[in-house]
Amino acid sequence: MTDVAISRRGLRVLKACFGLLLLFLYAPILIMAVFSFNDSITVTFPLSGFTLRWYREFLSNGELMVALRASAIVAATSSAIAVALGISAAVALVRKRFFGKGAVSGLLLAPLVIPYLILGISLLILFNAAAIPLSILTIATGHVVISVPYTVLVLVPRLERVSVSLEEAARDLGASGPRTFRSVTFPLILPAVISAFLVAFTLSFDEVVVASFLAGDQVTFPVYLYSQLRFPTRLPQVIALAVAVMAVSGFVVIGAEIGRRIADRRLATQLASAGTPETRGIP
Amino acid sequence: MAVEAGADLKVTSGSRHMRMRRRLATLGLLSPSLVYMGIFFLLPVGLVVAYSLGALTLFPGDRYLSLESWGYVFGRSLYMDLFWKSVRMSLTVSVLVVTFGYPVAYYLAMGARKRKYVLLIVLIAPFLTSYLLRVLAWKVILGGNGVINSLLYSTGVRDPGDPISWLIYSQFAVILVLVYVWIPFVALPIFASLDNLDRSLLEAATDLGASRWKTFWKITFPLSIPGVIAAFIFVFIPTIGDYVTPALVGGTRGYMYGNAISDLFLGAFDWQTGSALAIFLLIVVATLIAIFGRFLNVRTVTIE
Amino acid sequence: MSTPRASRVAIGLEGVRKRFGSITAVRQVTLEIREGEFFSMLGPSGCGKTTTLRLMAGFEEPDEGRILLRGVDVTGVPPNRREVNMVFQHYALFPHMSVFENVAFGLKLRRVARQEIRQRVMEMLEVVRLEGTERRRPGQLSGGQQQRVALARALVNRPTALLLDEPLGALDVKLRKEMQLELKRIQLELGTTFVYVTHDQEEALAMSDRIAIMNNGDVEQIGSGREVYERPATTFVAGFVGLLNELDVRVDEVQGDIAVMRTGDDERVVVSADDARPGDRLRIAVRPERICIEERSAPHTAHGSRLGGVIARVAYLGTFTQFHVDTSIGIRVTSHRLNDERTDMLSAGDQVFLCWGRDDAFILGGAGSSGGDVA
Repeated sequence: MTDVAISRRGLRVLKACFGLLLLFLYAPILIMAVFSFNDSITVTFPLSGFTLRWYREFLSNGELMVALRASAIVAATSSAIAVALGISAAVALVRKRFFGKGAVSGLLLAPLVIPYLILGISLLILFNAAAIPLSILTIATGHVVISVPYTVLVLVPRLERVSVSLEEAARDLGASGPRTFRSVTFPLILPAVISAFLVAFTLSFDEVVVASFLAGDQVTFPVYLYSQLRFPTRLPQVIALAVAVMAVSGFVVIGAEIGRRIADRRLATQLASAGTPETRGIP
Repeated sequence: MAVEAGADLKVTSGSRHMRMRRRLATLGLLSPSLVYMGIFFLLPVGLVVAYSLGALTLFPGDRYLSLESWGYVFGRSLYMDLFWKSVRMSLTVSVLVVTFGYPVAYYLAMGARKRKYVLLIVLIAPFLTSYLLRVLAWKVILGGNGVINSLLYSTGVRDPGDPISWLIYSQFAVILVLVYVWIPFVALPIFASLDNLDRSLLEAATDLGASRWKTFWKITFPLSIPGVIAAFIFVFIPTIGDYVTPALVGGTRGYMYGNAISDLFLGAFDWQTGSALAIFLLIVVATLIAIFGRFLNVRTVTIE
Repeated sequence: MSTPRASRVAIGLEGVRKRFGSITAVRQVTLEIREGEFFSMLGPSGCGKTTTLRLMAGFEEPDEGRILLRGVDVTGVPPNRREVNMVFQHYALFPHMSVFENVAFGLKLRRVARQEIRQRVMEMLEVVRLEGTERRRPGQLSGGQQQRVALARALVNRPTALLLDEPLGALDVKLRKEMQLELKRIQLELGTTFVYVTHDQEEALAMSDRIAIMNNGDVEQIGSGREVYERPATTFVAGFVGLLNELDVRVDEVQGDIAVMRTGDDERVVVSADDARPGDRLRIAVRPERICIEERSAPHTAHGSRLGGVIARVAYLGTFTQFHVDTSIGIRVTSHRLNDERTDMLSAGDQVFLCWGRDDAFILGGAGSSGGDVA
């Protein structure tokens, strides 16, 4: 096909741009990976031999492990709550008609465009005014606010793709509202529920600003990391940890994406075979 | 639609009852999230406003019902200078990021064909890994004894102990790292606007005699402006409120508005001035959203 | 404005072939579109008609063969330098420009003087009857109006030929009929060559001077509407254009150039056949509207075909009624009759005779081997 958007030479130039950008994005990560195996206390050239010492060290760092555990708890709690809130809000936004829909979705999505710094200090003032002591629970409370917009954004499009007529069919066959949700709607949006949970989990697990303001005695992993980075004393160890975390989250991201793709394709075929209006041809 | 119209026609006591129940169901679905966001988002923001005015005080030193903290914000050139410096830095970052992101998003949407979603994931993946660790990478690279400087020492280009001074703890470092952090993200809204572009519009322009260059400037670019604006806003807002990156690689030269707020809260314990600064920032952000909100199709931010 | 130049060729395709990967979209197409004619390319989806159109526009390049515009080889010339313009399937109007800007787009690129642009755009909007909409955006127009803008935008450049890719597909039935007449009116008014791609045979018949029937990347027949309808060159054309009854029969007797099949007492099928011999198997086709229905009691008439049967189903279709008749030779035949008192009387289960004239039936090519369901 004669491409009306890009000439052959233009394509070559753009490919080069893309390649350079990828280099820019991945080179620092690669450099980190290299130095995480470098047998030297300073992160400098020349390299001085291979070691797994830094990986062993961070695994035996008790403080760090406790912080990781705290983060896992915060992330699991906050994303479970955020997903639950997100599901009910998404169902209302997509399926119901009510006054002030724009304002409601505006409120639910607003944390997306408010600097986390402002969210952090505002919750700090709230908890102080209410005399609630700071703990990992206050962090989780804040992370729910951050995560809700993302869960809504992941769930709404999926819900929109599930035809109302499927739910109407279930109602027609005698299912109650909750029953219809449980046996028709929920199974069909399950992949989106899972990816909403994953998005919220990663968001919380990596969040440092709100957590810094709301942490009590027990800090989360990013807060711990932040303190280590400002005054680096154990840099190689932190680098090894960074590489490990990036590798794990990389796998999670790729896995989640592949899973979502498969689920999407399955939904498409399910909907096609169910003959929903969007796929049904002219009679 | 037809079903509902039919239902509206027979207004019996039964259907009024139905409507009531439907309303209750909607309320039941909406209230958990609305109540939560009301208590933990709207109320706290209101408290910050109250705190900045001294209508709410928590510490003995707080000034009760006073505009003094607002006076500090506008009166002391310190904060306003810092604000404008941060605006300049954030603008620089946003412009750079959009300028570099556009051709890449264009390539993905227009030139990458079947592989475009795979390549998009490759591009976005770094954004989905830890923010702090990506900043750490640059701290390690740019540091006085970091990768670049030590490479220069070991190859004899520079003498040991004479690092390139502007590499770290400078505005340059902050801008570089923020660009690094946000570039994958801007590609999304721009990509979405280009990917949604109806190809036959480009064919129509070509058919009417436009060269590729003309087609781009008369059709493609104008139609992708909403994506560009969205990308711009979605980068500008978090960067102007950021304090983590400047704290890690900015030093005193790269100190930003966000650092002032966080230091007032966590260090100097002048929460009132901090609140006033935060509310001022919030007003700026809200104004931007009010002006450009219609371009912010937030859905483009999730990978869909 | 339109001087008859029937001899000149607007677009010529010479042995054009186009492949997409392993799929051959267009194989070896050769055709000539005359200046000023309304030329349709008709076929089912995937037959290669749109690809052929895009080859003319320059959006695709042929793997083999040449494309000529007014006798000049334009193979390899990019679409923006070809003097043809296209009306896209979903109009492809630029959403960020007004109607005026859309229509003026091509002229501006050609650096036509501003005054002239204004004049030509307004003239063209008048031709397509859209006066007064020039300030509006495409999104504010109805489907039919958008269609007219798309037409004006292409025609204002005075192209060698206007290429239309199923332009009426998105409109509802009533509007589609209206636009068919409009298109024809505009084409006659401006004398522009129209190349029209459609899968709707009625549309093609209603507007075209000539129709190319395409199937599987090949042109099966080119001819006027009457030619392709009444004298289809291939089985595919016969089946695709209009409804058709097909009868597989064996020749019992040849009288001059007429083959006769006796199918029972008083019943026979006749068809003009040049060199048929007794014993040959033929596949005969008759259009439903050519078949009349008589009650059993009606007297034997004429020299045409006459076939007994029972009405299986009656479908009332407004202007005419469709009868499905199970004939004595075991084939269900469809007959269309304009509604009158007589058709009202007939109902399912009635014993009837079907009859049609000698020239109403024609022989389909290549039936000799495949026939066999007639005893």
